[in-house]
Amino acid sequence: MEIRASGLTDVGLKRDGNEDAFSTDDANGLYIVADGMGGHLAGEVASRIAVEMINNGFQRWARNDTPIEELYGMPDSSLTLTGNYLSSSIRLANRVVYEMAAEYEQYHGMGTTVACIHVSPTLVVAANAGDSRIYMVRDGELERLSKDHTILSEQLDMGMMTIEEAETSPLKHVLTRNLGSSEDVDVDVYEIEPSNNDRFVLCSDGLTDLVSDQEILYMTMHATDPEMLCRDFVETALRRGGHDNTTVLAVFVTGIAKPKELPFKKTGLLFADMIIGMQKMIKKIKP
Amino acid sequence: MARLILTFNKQVIKEIPVLKESITLGRNEDNTVVIDNLAVSGYHARIDKAGSDFVLTDLQSTNGTFVNNGKIVSHKLQHGDKIIVGKHILLFVMSAKGGAEPRDEKKLDMDKTMMLDTAKQRELLSKQKTAPADAKAVEKVGVVSFIDGSGLGDIELSKKLTKIGKADTSEIKLSGMLMGATAATISRRPSGYAISFAGGMAKLKVNGEVVKDSVALKDFDTIELGAYKFQFYQKDIGP
Repeated sequence: MEIRASGLTDVGLKRDGNEDAFSTDDANGLYIVADGMGGHLAGEVASRIAVEMINNGFQRWARNDTPIEELYGMPDSSLTLTGNYLSSSIRLANRVVYEMAAEYEQYHGMGTTVACIHVSPTLVVAANAGDSRIYMVRDGELERLSKDHTILSEQLDMGMMTIEEAETSPLKHVLTRNLGSSEDVDVDVYEIEPSNNDRFVLCSDGLTDLVSDQEILYMTMHATDPEMLCRDFVETALRRGGHDNTTVLAVFVTGIAKPKELPFKKTGLLFADMIIGMQKMIKKIKP
Repeated sequence: MARLILTFNKQVIKEIPVLKESITLGRNEDNTVVIDNLAVSGYHARIDKAGSDFVLTDLQSTNGTFVNNGKIVSHKLQHGDKIIVGKHILLFVMSAKGGAEPRDEKKLDMDKTMMLDTAKQRELLSKQKTAPADAKAVEKVGVVSFIDGSGLGDIELSKKLTKIGKADTSEIKLSGMLMGATAATISRRPSGYAISFAGGMAKLKVNGEVVKDSVALKDFDTIELGAYKFQFYQKDIGP
């Protein structure tokens, strides 16, 4: 398996500071985007801490093959061990952001979204809380591996609002989940089988506010490398006003071979044994 | 235009436009907003239009009416106020006048991402003595039903990723010389279930078509894997 990944963040044209954070870790196959919120520098602190904590937690647990019982919080039996590593590290990061926000006055009300994926030759885990998204492009189709935790998207899910109404709704940016606002966070985690030429895009809402799903599909399909793709995305967002911080992370996966097992391995060995046995017998018979 | 967004357990139940001069909230059927929950009084609270303002009044309800952090008797509603009635939360939203271009005037504060303070809400709620909730959300779970006489019957897909194959670690263990250690996987994704070919010599077919990568599953799709044949469907599970 070969992974090529790249990330890029831009403050945009309207904001003073950049509250987004991201990390790419090819050695561990872990990619994270976080979009912080909260006054002064609190948003920047929240997103950076979240990224760092998730990286630390995941790496430590994965490296030591930590058993599921020793992870932070209740394990999720519907997930693999790796899925639990990621989910637990996000929940631990939430706890840290939450306690900091409660403890220090300058951090009151801070929080952050998080969207991350872990890629290995046999499993892709996608996890998110908030409205930063994870897209997968496979076979010329775009699929979301994340859920938007906004009032709006929940209304859409329940069929109470049309997509047209959603576009103009004032509730577009009201989150129902993030890291930092409560002691525990419910993380949406998805696990899928990787496929050759899978491409993943992780991004903050600075991109998805200004670039449509169709455009994301088209640009991702026709990109030659992840670095150029990230630059293209950010430039498009800036051209359209860049009202928010924009962060994009692209991961291209190649060289995933599906194992072809040899069905005649066992019968073949049997034949080989027989032939060798026969040869031995013939040698014995010959003077 | 003013609207109320009724939520329960972080799920939006419905959106109610405040069109009349006054509306009532409560458990009884003749309220404008009926909230069928034992924690809610028969006639719990009312909202009256006063000029361009809206005033919320508690109707001496048993469990009280809360706005944002505190219990209220009467309260002038503002955009973004959270009205807490029993375990239900109503978000009060005012669109720009006329409702033509709500985004323009409200843009500055609404464009910025913000978080509903659910922690505080929960804290408030936990202090109240309320009857058990009548959770409404219906969850679905995928099931594969074997129709090949293998006697495997119906298997619920309780994991996010279900491995099917010869390996002992498979959630659904199948045998056969051509069967891969992991021959196929079924994953649950935000958009639904999808099946992927994973390896081995046994062919994966969905509705008779060979699948080399992955394909989304619909109810009653027929899946063939080597000599095995099964159907996929989703069933409702209780909350």
